[in-house]
Amino acid sequence: MDPKTLAFFAAGIGAGLTIMGGAAGIGRLAAAAMEGIARQPNAAGDIRGAMIVAAGLIEGVTFFALVVTAILAFK
Amino acid sequence: MTALLLALLLQAAPAAAAAAPAEGPAARAEATAPLPGQTAADHDDRREREEEGLGQVIMHHVTDQPVFGLPSKHLLYFVISALLVIAGTRSAVRSYRGGLVPHGIGAAVESLVLFVRDEIALPNIGQDDGRRFTPLLCSFFFFILVAALLGLVPLPGYQAGHWFFASTTATGNLAVTMGLALVSFAAQQYAGISKYGLIRHFRNLVPSGLPVLLLPIMIPVEIISMFTKPFALMIRLFANMLAGHMVVTTLILLISLMAQIHWLGGVVMAPVSIVLSVFILLLEVLVAFIQAYIFTLLSAIFIGMYAHPAH
Repeated sequence: MDPKTLAFFAAGIGAGLTIMGGAAGIGRLAAAAMEGIARQPNAAGDIRGAMIVAAGLIEGVTFFALVVTAILAFK
Repeated sequence: MTALLLALLLQAAPAAAAAAPAEGPAARAEATAPLPGQTAADHDDRREREEEGLGQVIMHHVTDQPVFGLPSKHLLYFVISALLVIAGTRSAVRSYRGGLVPHGIGAAVESLVLFVRDEIALPNIGQDDGRRFTPLLCSFFFFILVAALLGLVPLPGYQAGHWFFASTTATGNLAVTMGLALVSFAAQQYAGISKYGLIRHFRNLVPSGLPVLLLPIMIPVEIISMFTKPFALMIRLFANMLAGHMVVTTLILLISLMAQIHWLGGVVMAPVSIVLSVFILLLEVLVAFIQAYIFTLLSAIFIGMYAHPAH
């Protein structure tokens, strides 16, 4: 197998693993946020703000891996 | 006024960096994109070879291209975003008319500025330092927001003899986000050094009362984290903006791909792709707001960390 084929293969697997990690993290975050809002509905605004910030940070980490995968796929 | 200075400063950073477009990994991959010196014939040859490089076509559309005879599409949209921010805020200030109640655009800008000051700057940096850094954080917030929203408006561009869809997010270029991250880094260092002086600012990095054995670990960790924070800001903003445009470009290219197999495939694929693109573009609007907020919030948190080391 020449390196280009292996690079495409690795890019595909890498993208899948990246999205698995990111989605698992954000899913747990959303579940905890839902539970928090259910317990204390009048803290919903604060919880929502914190959830969005944490989701942005987790997605930032996901995008690091995505950039590496994109380099593999397109170079 | 600070927004004007910041916009001028930011123009210098990507202008210097756009001259060496090998700054970002995406720019290095544009091996088949037309360089500013090439002619229309070369570009047409490349368009004929589109079928054999789907990856190259996508990168061709989301990376920096010459447009209107100017060397850089991202730089043009960067300047347009900066001018929009400056014009918008000046007209907002003018709408106060000497009173305390703004009208029209001033009200919208005022609510956003109050949001930045009361939710982002003051809780994270403190009372008086927060007011000092609010103009900078407002500049970040408004510039990223306007640049992202401008990148969603479809505007035509003309280059090398043909019109094309040239609308791009200025922050989708690694050089632009590197400029923003450098300004944020400079603000963090300024926050620490102006309050504590050069030596004590670096001594504040490690908490006092720490066992001496931990110092060889803590000092490199703190120094490296001082550099990874703006780096993470840069990559996060760049990848979010780039990913949105790449997905939309891919979806639209699928129409052409299906049409090459059979013309009916293109007809069937077109509504699907267009509906999906509309949803992705709506999501991009939300992502624009969220990314502007997160960049500003993290900058405020880091500035607060250096202005008030809570160790």
